[in-house]
Amino acid sequence: MRIEARNLGWREIVRGVSVEIRKGETFGLVGPNGSGKSTLLRLLAGLMPRAAGEVWLDGAPLAQLSRRQIAQRLALVEQFADTGEALSVRDAVDLGRTPWLSPLSPFGPEDRQIVDRALAAVGMEGMAARAWATLSGGERQRVHIARALAQEPRVLILDEPTNHLDIHHQLALLGLVAALPVTVVMALHDLNQAMMCDRLGVMSDGRMVACGKPAEVLTPDNLARIFRVRAQPMIDPSDGSTLFRFLPMETST
Amino acid sequence: MPNLPLIPRRGLRAALIAAPLVAAMPALAQTSYPLHLSNCGVDLTFEAAPQSVVSVGQAATEILYALDLGDRVLGTSVWFSSVLPQFEAVNAGVPRLADNDPSFESVVALRPGLVAVQYEWHIGPQGIVATREQFADLGIPTYTLPSDCVGKDNSTGSDGTRLDMYTMDSLYQGVEELAQIFDVPERGTAMVAALREREAAAIATAGALALDDASAVFWFSSAEMDIDPYVAGQGGAPAYMMQALGLRNVVESNEEWPVVAWETIARANPSVIVLARMDRRRFEADDIERKLEFLRTDPVVSQMEAVREGRIVILDAHGMDPSIRNIDALETLSAALAGFDLQ
Amino acid sequence: MTRRAALSALAVPVLSRAGLGAVLLALAVLAGVTIGEVALPLGLVGDLLAVKLLGIERALDPIEAGILWSYRLPRTLVAAACGAGLALSGVVLQALVRNALADPYLLGVSAGAGAGAVAVTLLGLGGGAIGLSAGAFGGAASAFLIVALLAKAAGGGPAQLVLAGIAGSQLFNALTSFFIAKSANAEQARGLMFWLLGNLSGVRWPDVSLALPVVGLGFLVCLAHVRPLDAFSFGSGAAASLGIAVRRVQLVLIAAVTLMTATLVSLVGSIGFVGLVIPHAMRFLVGPRHARLIPASALAGAVFLIAADIAARVLIPGQVVPIGVVTALVGAPGFALILIRNRRRS
Repeated sequence: MRIEARNLGWREIVRGVSVEIRKGETFGLVGPNGSGKSTLLRLLAGLMPRAAGEVWLDGAPLAQLSRRQIAQRLALVEQFADTGEALSVRDAVDLGRTPWLSPLSPFGPEDRQIVDRALAAVGMEGMAARAWATLSGGERQRVHIARALAQEPRVLILDEPTNHLDIHHQLALLGLVAALPVTVVMALHDLNQAMMCDRLGVMSDGRMVACGKPAEVLTPDNLARIFRVRAQPMIDPSDGSTLFRFLPMETST
Repeated sequence: MPNLPLIPRRGLRAALIAAPLVAAMPALAQTSYPLHLSNCGVDLTFEAAPQSVVSVGQAATEILYALDLGDRVLGTSVWFSSVLPQFEAVNAGVPRLADNDPSFESVVALRPGLVAVQYEWHIGPQGIVATREQFADLGIPTYTLPSDCVGKDNSTGSDGTRLDMYTMDSLYQGVEELAQIFDVPERGTAMVAALREREAAAIATAGALALDDASAVFWFSSAEMDIDPYVAGQGGAPAYMMQALGLRNVVESNEEWPVVAWETIARANPSVIVLARMDRRRFEADDIERKLEFLRTDPVVSQMEAVREGRIVILDAHGMDPSIRNIDALETLSAALAGFDLQ
Repeated sequence: MTRRAALSALAVPVLSRAGLGAVLLALAVLAGVTIGEVALPLGLVGDLLAVKLLGIERALDPIEAGILWSYRLPRTLVAAACGAGLALSGVVLQALVRNALADPYLLGVSAGAGAGAVAVTLLGLGGGAIGLSAGAFGGAASAFLIVALLAKAAGGGPAQLVLAGIAGSQLFNALTSFFIAKSANAEQARGLMFWLLGNLSGVRWPDVSLALPVVGLGFLVCLAHVRPLDAFSFGSGAAASLGIAVRRVQLVLIAAVTLMTATLVSLVGSIGFVGLVIPHAMRFLVGPRHARLIPASALAGAVFLIAADIAARVLIPGQVVPIGVVTALVGAPGFALILIRNRRRS
């Protein structure tokens, strides 16, 4: 699903962002803390009240879709989503079916299969009966992603999905996301992980200051200006991919 | 008057000692001072007759008026209904401190020689105006009508609980003691004699009916029209009237004005229903017309024998509180019974 | 398997559970009409049903039959409606504000309903029961709004909500007292103290025809929103991303809760703790999913309040204990359990 955004803005947090994300693309958002990444993701999902600008999903204006229609197309995994309810893992993933259910089409065997597949995709199939409260932070994150997958979206929006995850699950998750046949937009903290995205948007002070292929965008110049670090690109001889080693600015001046 | 459950009553059990005032005072023309009295657990000594008095409670006010002491009354308070017609003139010249509870300071500010009290829940161990000690500390003696403490525990039940049946004697005692305090003992004696005579006559009228199995309920009011009503319990002035006139009270609680379910009253099916008429309009059911309408229209209560036979008596509400009006109420009820076919 | 087949497969356990619930409720109602201050012959219930429902002629004592039919049956039905409505309100508020401590009593809705009714009576707006109910409704809605806004302004956490609820309740109780104290004409203030008591003894059939439809409507609204309520588990943002029209759902559900609470308070006064304790007990029994929690709480609330009303009538022979006292006697320890359980979890 193609996403077009024009002149998105919300108060002073996000200002005049226009971007087009192609069908099936994995699009990364990077930027320092407070640069507006999370707000931009919520704007793309149509969740901010009194937002400026417009978003189109496959040419359809988001503003003219109902919440239910949006949720059938687009799933969002936010940071810090927690619950006090005594839900099981399966209960939480079942919630992903919400936009597809109605009193006339209740939760059925097909929905159950979709939930099973989503649990398996994040490696939680053996923990379906576990209580939410007993899960670690990483397990919770995986359940959230399984819930988003159960929504069967054509656009998946993730806000720093690798937070809370150990390195094994970070890599597994990024591999999973990259392999999904859907459009993915995600905010990422780790610039080395951002290198695996098809394209990156760089946020700074509410504006998207750069957008393009990772190697074009994450230049030492940009990194120094926006992230205030000295970045030393290094090539991994095993596959020729670029890695960064970050050093403080002070040492360079 | 039912002290409806707005004022929480807690704790402390009042130490109530019935004043053992043996043998009615000889009919002296003058009181010999110092006068010693034991009044509701407090010992009082009067060196001379007080020159002034503030009354807290209509029953106390009307006894003072009846003793022709209206010129000594500086202020009145706690009114349940209009003053008796014969006292309208004297009452017009007396300031009314409050329709309801007076403040402690407004009473003290008049510097009365005595405060005459009808109910301990105004001035007493848990008094909402003050305790008797608070007045005593300022050198103001308080006199409480024995009708609210003789044989009565004011620490339980929303209007206290009668340990012994109320009789007119405790009221007569109050009349005579107030007369002594104000150095007019002969007026007290004469007044009590007259009241006793009327009491005996009313009882004789009812006695002539030779009531065998007649019963009654006294409905004072209800917090909501359909809700469980406040009715007269065993032991209060209404209970005394019923017993004196040969009626059985269908309410068995010892509280002064308990709340009893209509289903209990309807099932007991008393021969007579007595309703209180009052000026107070705190509740819808304070209005006598609303009470009568309820009796006619409620699907269960309208089936009661007393309602179907029209055996309904309306009495002045204040006549149901211990007061000289009890005799008026007794006479009205007795005359009404004579008019019913109760055999 | 198609959805239709799945539906019929699910229908059997659902129907048998609904049947069990109906039997439980019927037993509670039977207990409610047979137990009371006055002992009535057991056969009377059957005789009365034969007369009223089948039109068979039987000679019945008019007073005994009247007590059963005109006093106890409406009282029991209103108790059931009231318990169900308060429990539903508790479930919905707890889900919407994501706070285990939310119930209409703690959030000031009851106090608001009382103050609203008093204000309308004393201002003379409207007349009769409609004016009172409208006032109760307005008061309940504005109290909830004030408490919600105050809690939000204070940071929106659980502690802020409870504190805002206390502040709101105090404010509206003070307003009630003020209106009553200010009214020069005691005639207008009549019966208003009743709001503070919680008493079912004055309930008659007209109250039933108000309480049952309102609570029935509220129940249907809640039942239609079981999935949105589930979706609120992870917050309103997560609910929105799951396709819930958050504003509309919140508005509809809060309107339903306010309507139920305001109506019930206008009929029987404030009865606390039902909305708090019943939903939590039911979460233990049937889990947190609202498809089960909603019907279970409604049923348990109905049975509980009927039982509480029986207890209120027979706890002290010859004396009626206010039903709010009974629910608080059970509710306060229940509340304590919730506090302890929440601490263990966090």
